[in-house]
Amino acid sequence: MNGPKIYFEIPIFGGIPITQTIVSSFVVMVLLCCAGFILGRKLQKRPTRVQVVVEKLVGMLYNMVEETMGKHNSYWTPYIGALFLSSACGSLIGMTGILRSATSDLSTTLTWALMTSVLVWACNIRTSGFFGWLKGFAEPVAVMLPMNIVSEIAQPISMAFRHFGNIMGGGVLMSMLYSALATASAALLGLIASLGGVVAAVVLLCLGVVWLVWVQLKHKPGILRKIPGILFCVLGALGLLQTLGVLSGVPFLEVGIPGVLSLYFDVFSAGVQALVFSLLTMVYVGNACPPPEEGKQS
Amino acid sequence: MSGFESIVGVNPWTALATFCNMIITFLILRHFLFKPVKKMIDDRQQEIDGMYADADRAKAEAKALEQDYRKHLDAAKSERDEILREAVVRAQAKEREILADANAQADAIREKARADIAQERKKAVNELKNDISGIAIDIAEKVTEKEISEKDHEALIEDFIRKMGDAS
Repeated sequence: MNGPKIYFEIPIFGGIPITQTIVSSFVVMVLLCCAGFILGRKLQKRPTRVQVVVEKLVGMLYNMVEETMGKHNSYWTPYIGALFLSSACGSLIGMTGILRSATSDLSTTLTWALMTSVLVWACNIRTSGFFGWLKGFAEPVAVMLPMNIVSEIAQPISMAFRHFGNIMGGGVLMSMLYSALATASAALLGLIASLGGVVAAVVLLCLGVVWLVWVQLKHKPGILRKIPGILFCVLGALGLLQTLGVLSGVPFLEVGIPGVLSLYFDVFSAGVQALVFSLLTMVYVGNACPPPEEGKQS
Repeated sequence: MSGFESIVGVNPWTALATFCNMIITFLILRHFLFKPVKKMIDDRQQEIDGMYADADRAKAEAKALEQDYRKHLDAAKSERDEILREAVVRAQAKEREILADANAQADAIREKARADIAQERKKAVNELKNDISGIAIDIAEKVTEKEISEKDHEALIEDFIRKMGDAS
C-alpha cells in the first residue's frame, strides 16, 4: 500500500510534486464550483423542482449551523458547507477508481484541521484581544498552562488523523478485500477442479436443482430455504464453465460482495467523517465566537 | 518523474494546494450558492410574513367594519321601534278623540230626536184635543138635539177634558 502517486514535478522552487491528491482536490474544487454556480443560478420566487431541493439542503445547513453555533454565527455557514462538501466529495471521489480520495492524504486533512485551529485562534483574539487569548491558556489556574497548550496542539492533529485514518483505512480494507476475494474465487474453482472436474461440477449442479425442486414441492417457497440450492447451482455452473476453460482466472467473487462493504467503508464513512469534521469545526469555532452580549460581559 | 509518497506524510505543496482549493471553493460557493439561496429563502419568508400580516390586518378591518355596521343597524332598529311606538300612541289618541266626538254627536242627535218626539207628541195631543172636542160637540148635539149656548159648550168640554186628563 502506497501513498499518493506523484505524477510529475514542476521544476520550480526546487520541484513541486503534482500528486494524485492535488489532482483529486483540484477536480473536487472544479466540480463543486461548477455545481454551485449552476445550482445557484436563475433563482426564482416560484422555485423549480431543483431549486426546492437546493433550498431545502441549504436551509438545513443553515439550521444546523445555527443550532450548533448559535444564531449570531449564521455567517459561518458557507465555510462549514464548503468544508463539508469538500470533505465528502474528496472522500467519495476515490470510488471513481480513476482518482485517489483526496482525504486519504494526511496533507489534506491536516490543512483543513489547521485552518479550523487558525479560525478558532482568530475568533478568540477578536473576542478577547491578543493578550486575552494568551491569558486564556493559563485558565482556570496557571498550572494548566502546559495542558492547555498541548490540547490546543492535539486538537488539529486528532481531527486530521481521525479523518485521514478512517478514509485511508477504509481504502486499505477494500483493496485487501478485493485481493482476498480474487484468491478465494481462484481457490474455489481449483477445489472444484481437483474434486474431479466436469463430474464434480455436474454433480453439484444436479444437487442444486434437486434441492430447489424439493424445496418448491415440500415447503412453502421461502428465500432462505432456497439459498443452499442456489449456491450449489451457481457453484456447479461456475465449475462447469471453469473446466470448459471459459472462466479461468476471473475473480467472480468480486461481483456483488464488495458492494455491501463498499457502501459502509466508502459511502457511509465518507459522509460520517465529513459530518464529524464539520461538526467539530462548528463546535470549536462556535465556542470561540460567543454571543455578542456574553462576549461583552466576560 | 513518478513515484509514491509515503502513506502517512505531509507534503507542504499538497497542503498549500488544498488550502488554496478550499479557499476558492469557499468563496465561490458562498458567492454563487449560499448567499443567493439564503437571500431567496429569507426574501420569500419575508414576503410570506408580509402577506400574513396583511391578511390579519384586513381581517381586523373587516371585523371593525362589521361591528360598525351592526351598531348602525341596531340604531336604525331602535329608531324604527320608537317611531312605531309613537305612531301607535298617536293613533290611539286619535281613535279616542274620534270616538268621543262620535259619541257626542250621537248624544246630540238623540237629544234632538227626543225633543222632536216630545214636541210631536204635544202637537198630536193638542190636535187630538181639538178633534175630540169637535166630535164631542157633534155627539152632544146629536144626543140633545138642542142648541146649547156656546158658553155652556165650552164649559162642558173643558170639564170633560180635565176628567179625561185626570183619567189618563
